[in-house]
Order: sequence, then C-alpha cells, then structure tokens
Amino acid sequence: MTVTVRINDVEVLAEEGESLLEVALRAGFDIPHLCHHPAVEAIGSCRLCLVELQAAGREELTTSCNVRVEAGMQVITDSPLVRQQRAANLELLLARAPGSARLRALAARHGIQAPRFEPPPSEGIQNCILCELCVRVCAMLGHDALGVLGRGEKKRIGLPFNQPAASCVGCASCAAVCPTECIRVSETPQARTIWGQSFEFAHCRSCGAPMLTERQRQFEIEKNGLPEDSYDTCESCKRQQTSQRFAAITW
Amino acid sequence: MVRLKNSKQLQQLHRQLAAARPAGRPAVAVCGGTGCQAQGSLSLSDAFRRELKKRRLSKKVELRLTGCHGFCERGPLVLVFPQGVLYQRVKAKDVAEIVERTLKKGEIVERLLYQDPQTGKRIAREADIPFYRHQQRLVLKDNGHLDPTSINDYIAIGGYQALAKALKMGPAGVLDEVEASGLRGRGGAGFPTGRKWRICGSTPADTRYLVCNADEGDPGAFMDRSVLEGNPHSVIEGMLIGALAIGAGQGFVYVRQEYPLAVERLELALEQARAYGLLGAGVLGSSLEFDVTIKRGGGAFVCGEESALIASIEGRRGVPRRRPPYPAQQGLFGRPTCINNVETWANVPHVIKRGAKWFSAIGTAGSKGTKIFSLVGKVHNTGLVEVPMGISLRRIVFDIGGGIPGGKQFKAVQTGGPSGGCLPESKLDTPVDFDTLVAEGAMMGSGGMIVMDSSTCMVDVARYFTNFLKFESCGNCTSCRDGLIHMHRLLEKLCAGTAAPDTLERIESLAETIRRTSLCALGTTAVNPVLSTLRHFREEFVAHLEEKRCPAGVCKELITFTIDADKCTGCTLCAKNCPQDAIRGRKKKPHTIEQDKCIKCGICRDVCQYDAVLVK
Amino acid sequence: MLVVYPGRCVGCRTCEVACSFAHASNGKPGPSRIRIHPAGPERFVQVTCLQCVNAACAAACPTRALRRNEVTRAIELDERLCVGCGLCEAACPFGHLQFSRELHLPLKCDLCGGNPACAAFCPHGALEWR
Repeated sequence: MTVTVRINDVEVLAEEGESLLEVALRAGFDIPHLCHHPAVEAIGSCRLCLVELQAAGREELTTSCNVRVEAGMQVITDSPLVRQQRAANLELLLARAPGSARLRALAARHGIQAPRFEPPPSEGIQNCILCELCVRVCAMLGHDALGVLGRGEKKRIGLPFNQPAASCVGCASCAAVCPTECIRVSETPQARTIWGQSFEFAHCRSCGAPMLTERQRQFEIEKNGLPEDSYDTCESCKRQQTSQRFAAITW
Repeated sequence: MVRLKNSKQLQQLHRQLAAARPAGRPAVAVCGGTGCQAQGSLSLSDAFRRELKKRRLSKKVELRLTGCHGFCERGPLVLVFPQGVLYQRVKAKDVAEIVERTLKKGEIVERLLYQDPQTGKRIAREADIPFYRHQQRLVLKDNGHLDPTSINDYIAIGGYQALAKALKMGPAGVLDEVEASGLRGRGGAGFPTGRKWRICGSTPADTRYLVCNADEGDPGAFMDRSVLEGNPHSVIEGMLIGALAIGAGQGFVYVRQEYPLAVERLELALEQARAYGLLGAGVLGSSLEFDVTIKRGGGAFVCGEESALIASIEGRRGVPRRRPPYPAQQGLFGRPTCINNVETWANVPHVIKRGAKWFSAIGTAGSKGTKIFSLVGKVHNTGLVEVPMGISLRRIVFDIGGGIPGGKQFKAVQTGGPSGGCLPESKLDTPVDFDTLVAEGAMMGSGGMIVMDSSTCMVDVARYFTNFLKFESCGNCTSCRDGLIHMHRLLEKLCAGTAAPDTLERIESLAETIRRTSLCALGTTAVNPVLSTLRHFREEFVAHLEEKRCPAGVCKELITFTIDADKCTGCTLCAKNCPQDAIRGRKKKPHTIEQDKCIKCGICRDVCQYDAVLVK
Repeated sequence: MLVVYPGRCVGCRTCEVACSFAHASNGKPGPSRIRIHPAGPERFVQVTCLQCVNAACAAACPTRALRRNEVTRAIELDERLCVGCGLCEAACPFGHLQFSRELHLPLKCDLCGGNPACAAFCPHGALEWR
C-alpha cells in the first residue's frame, strides 16, 4: 500500500513497511549509514542514520534503518540534535576504526578530526566496527560461514568455534560489503586466501585464467542443479567465442 | 492424584485438605530458601525429622520445609506453630531443645529469639518483630505456610480458587478487574498490566503467548527467585488467569540459568498441576487449554530485556529489537505475546480473589498494591521485604531494616539495580512509587534496594555499575557498547586519581549520547547510576577529580593506611595477618606500615582490636 | 532497442571510448561495457549486452540487484543491492558481464538509461538506437 510521509517538510511517497532509511535515500536525502544494506535485514548497529521521528503521537530520536514506514510519519534528518548525536557516534566509531579512510572522511565531514578516546580493547579484526554486514550477507548467500562471538566489549566477528568454516566458499562478498574494508583478502593466480583458508580458483578451460573459486563454483552447481561443466570459461574467452559466433552469422 | 473435573471438585478437595490442617495444629516450618539452605537448613530439617520421630511426634507435629521467610540476615529460620514463634540462627544442636521445650511444653527458647538492637528486648512472635510488623505481605504471605513441593498445601490454603472464580468471570470480566485494580508491572518498567493484557488480547492472531520473565539479572535481587522457589503455584495460577483473559494457549517461564532450585520447584509444580487437570486441555473442565514450558537462560543480563528474551526463546542471540512493534502486538514467533514479571503474575490471583477495589485500596494513586524489595547492603536486617506502595524509604531502611550497623551514618540507598539510581539522606522521605522515584532520578526497578553508609564511595558505586553494564551490553549499538567502555575508563581514572580536568563534562556528554541513541532500555538506563550519583553526590566526584581524594576512604590509589601510634598497643596482630609482610614493629611498641609494600587490602584494619588503623 | 551491424564496424573503438566516459566514476573513465573483437581481415564484431529476455545474470543474482528497466528494457544494476559475489559474471553465457574487483561491482551495460552513448557516437552507423 502506498503511503505518504514527510521528510524535512517534503512529501515523499513510500510503500508501507519499507525501511524509512531506504525511502529517504531514494528520495535523495543524504543520511549517513554504515551498517545498513538493502539486501539484508537492518540491525541498527552503527547508530549513524539517526532522525527525529514523529509517529502515532510520539516523538523520538531513532535510527531510521529499522523503522518501518507508516502513513503520516514526520521525519527530520538534519536537526542540531541529530547532527550532534550523529557526530558523537561517529567519534566513537572512529576511535574503534581509525584506519578506515571512509570513516575518517565521514567523520571529518561532521567536524570530527581525531577522536578524544583511546581505541577500545578488541580481540577481533582491526578497524572492524562490528556492524555484522559480513555475517548477514554471508548468511543471505546461503553460506553462514561467519558469526558474532561474545557480547558487549568482547563482541567480535569471527568464525564459528574459531575454526576455518567448512561452509565458506571464498567468494569474498564479506570483504566487498565491509564498510571499513577491514577483511583481509589476498590473491595469487592460483588461489584466494581469506578467513584463514586458501581457496583454489576454478581456471578457464580455454586460457587458464582464474575465475571464481572452485568451492563457489561447486556450491552454485549443487544449489541450482547445473551441469558439472558450468562456469568453466572466463568472461574474456566467453566474449571471444560470442564474437566468433556473431562473425559466423554476419559473414 | 485424580483429575479435578470442575471447580466444585476443587472446592471439595480444598475443604478436605483444609480440614486435615486445623489452625491450632502444631507445626514446624523450616526455611528452605536458597539463602537458608546455604546456612545448612536442609540438615536442620533432617535433624527435626529425626528428633520428631525419636519422640514419636511425627504424626502430631507437621514438619514443613518451606520457601523463603524473608529475614535472610537471621537464617536459618524456623517458625513454630500455632504460636507463630520465630527462631533465628538455628543450628542442628538446637533442635532437641526446641522439640522438648517449645513443641512439647509450649516454652520459648529465649536465646534463639530475635533481639531488637535498639531496646535489647527479645521478641517471640514473628508478627511482632519490627522487620515483619511494618511489612504488608501479600505475595510472600504464604511462604512460611506451605511446602512448595506440595500442590496440596497450596490448595489447602485456598490455591487455584482465583482461577475458578476467573473462569466464571470470563475473559472480559477478568480484563476489567485487572485493569481496574491498577496493577502495574513489577519487572521495572511499571506498565499497566491490564492495558498490556488488553492490547495483547485484542491483536488478531492465530496464537498468542504468555511469558513469565524470571531472568532476574539485577545484582543483589532475589525476589523472583524466592517466589518461584517458595510458591511456584501462585505464578502458575496467575498465568492461567492471564491465559484466560488474553486467549493464550501456551506459556513460557524464562528462568535464568543460575536458579537451579527455582527450576526444580517449578518443574515439579507444573507436573502436579497437570496431574490435577489444572494445566493442559480442559482446565477445571472449562474450554481453557493452557500449558507452560520452562526455558533456561544462558547467563546474560540483557536476556531479561523483553525483546532479547524473545530472541533467546526463539533460539537466536539475545539481542534486543527496536520497539514498536511491541511484543503485546508482535512478539514471540511474531505472535502477540504478553510478557510479565514473576511478581506481577503472583499478584494476579490476589487481584481476582479479593477484587480490584480491595487491591487498589493498597498503595498510592499511581502505584497500587505492594512491592517486594530485596533489602541488602549496610543495614541490620537484610532480606526480602514486601511493603505497600507509598511507604517511605526511611521506614524501609530504619523501621524494617533496623538502621545502619556499626554506628555508621546512612549515606544513600540504591534502587532499581543497574538501571536505577542512588538517593541521598535528603530524599529518604520519598514514598516508594513508580513515578515519584523516577522524578527523583532513581527508579523502582525490579526491587533491588542497596543501602550504603559513609564507608561507601559513590564514585566507586558509579564505576561498579557502569562496569557491570559494559560487560552485559549485547554490543549491538555503538553508543551503548563503546559509550560504556569509555565512560567506564573515565570513572576508573577518577578512582585512580588520574582523571583529566574535563572528565566530568566528558562523562555527562557520553551519558547523553548513550541515553538518547541506544536501542534498548539497557543502554538508555545505563547512565542512571552515574547521573544519579553525580546529581546527589557531585562533591565526591569533584574531590576525586580536583583533590585526588576519596572522602569515603575506598579508592585504593587515593588512600593511605597508617597506624595511629597513640592507639597502637603493639599486639602484632596486624603484622601477623598482613599478606604482604608490610607492617614493622616490635612487641608492645607502635607498629608502622611500609607504604611501598602496602596493597590496601584492609586486613590490618579488620583485625585490629584497638581501632588503630587509619585510612585517609 | 540497440541494433548492432557488425558489417559496418571499422574497429575505430569510438564506442568503447564513449562508453568509458559515460560510465566514469570519481572523475576517472570506467571500463567500457562494449568491446570490439577482430573477426578476420578488416572484420570487427561489437560485443555488448543482449539484455536477454531470460537473463542468466539476473537469475543468478542473489539480491535481485539486476532487474529489467521497463522503459529502456535494459537489465540494470542497482549498485546498492550488489554484494559483490561475482555470480553474474560467471552466469552470463556470452561473456558480456565483467566483474570489477576494484569497484566490487559488475560492469553492466544499462543502455545509458535510454540514450546509449555508443550508438550516439558511432561514426559509421554500426550501432543504432531505435
């Protein structure tokens, strides 16, 4: 059902139940967010997407990623209170992940040059902001190879039972979505190493170039019931073959 | 045990059982609550059993191992009926004398009686002891009178009559009654119970659930534990009435992992209730179908938060969810779920049995009924107290609690656990009421009440609670997880005398962010301990910050232990007990403490008989 | 609809340059989505996305980030939904989709939103937008 909400005094149309943050971003409002990704469920971890929300007779300062849009909501995305508390959370995040260029730039735009806090103790990955995007995306992809260990100050992202995960296929989507780029991936033409495991690449049957990992290839074949020789040619050779077929048709 | 097919059969059973327990019948009730058990009350109970058998009194005198009597400071407790005499600090070697003199001859054993510290008088009857006299025991009333492992005891004293009455009243009638009573949740938030039930019951759904929150995570709180251990059927009956009112078919009791006795008693009670047809299909022959499953927690304070509790029951990590939607509309497995605290459920049978008018006559305009507090800390009479809402903190601490031991001065009372706040002497006349406590910067909470004296450092208290919450935070929100880490560090620096000049402003700024931008109540109320102590005891914080001084003599890096040469008799007791071998001195000559070796453990002060150890 | 005439292609690669600039990011020209392949003496074939009716790339995408634009009929990438798994590149039978490890995104022809630059700049009419 389509509903109307007001964001910064502008009327915006939305589908009832959509994420308020998604609606605002689509309408062109710039609300900083790090732990939100439209492909996975919002958890409201980073606390940057704060807005002042008036709904059902209540006023509150809240994150917008995990608010489901209802008719008549009124939202302010840039009040002094919002900016003040957004900056406060940015400062806390920067103290935890000073090595992230993206976070440094975002903090600088909010007047935070250097955090006034020492880095919190962490047994986890350096510069990780514990947003759980890697965990959520990996679960969404059907691998569930990453988990959250501990809670509170001991919370860290890691492998279940601290063992290399049997279900990891080395696709590196976790690294791709990580907002602070703190997941280390290294590659040779032979293999990709990530989360303590080395994954052999599947190689193009024509030119031998590395493509996706063999484990990822097998996972897709099994999941979709594809023939065993699927995904065995690289995009360059596939394109080459396509051009030959087009040439054969034309001339 | 035969299934009770209808209310009439319940009445019959009640009359039968009550007749077998005439009022004047001699009985011995030994407190079997966890506290007294830790003091040996189980072997005490066995000693009574053996002694009664030896004297062929087993048939004449009923021996009962009961739930917590409340006066935990004085355990093991023994109540003797019909006189209602309370014996305290009873040992196995006292049993023979009690049986011989009190049970056989009707005499009182004076030395086992409670002695009023003010008057020096010994008081025989439980009802006359100030600790009990000033209470109004509604939920805890039956704890000394029934064996929690016997459903027959519960039925004998009128148990499940409220359920029978509720079945006649019907869901609408019960909802009206609970709403009219003004009963508010006893878990901390104080949301009107009737309103919650109504919202839950009126949300369209294929299934609704009831949950009893028995996670009781506040340090020092043991009210819910004692209700579950001492009178589990009162909770089951309350849930049955709730299930009728809301239209729920299944209930869960979420008990914290650390309460094995409560789980054991509850499991047994559920089995017995099922055998009597009080749980399951066709409760008391009605169309109500309801049963209860026990879920044990995994050791996380945050799982007492309703949405994290739901996640835990669902098998997920105990991480809270944003509300709205509230559990009453969308909770466990996405269904309307009514979550209430143990004490709230235990109040329900009383509301139904005696009516909303009677219930709402107790308490204040905004807070009806009674509240159980676990009164602990620097007070003479620690234990569980149940008082009418509206009673002042002063009366609880001094009339019931007996005041501060050791001749020390009252300093503060902390209510509401880690989500609550500290109130100073000037606020002692504050009535215990949901709203007035919040107005003063504290909170009723689930009922923890910690009394503090002049030897308590309020900065240390703020640091202690902040550390607890930092450890228990689920870690989802930047503001709560990292905010508490940094706030704790700042408080540690204050206690160590290394805080920077802007520390108090930085603490207040962090507190604002934690309070305003955290997702759940753990985060938003995590700032209460530090903000309430800053509000009422700012001068202590300033002393730590500017003078590097701890006025209460607690913060180790800021205090020095010295020996007063005028008072020291050279008895060498301190030197002998010092773990660091830091005290020098010859016999009969004043001793000295070597500061570079001293670890400020305080043992010398504890063992000195002459008050010669000074802490500054 | 983009109509391709390989017979008219002289291999000047103006289309590649136009596409590159049409998909610039951070001020730098991006990789071209249309590629010219030699197919014999003075013969060239333009290989670009066929915007398949049953697009294998869209079917393989776990987040439905590749979706048909109803107006231009192109299969468009919604960058925000992409999680960088690379399955679209593997799935396309024709080798049109190239996955960029630097950008963590596939390089997808989106027909420039309805006015393809390649067709606009092709000097020989080898690419026609109808």
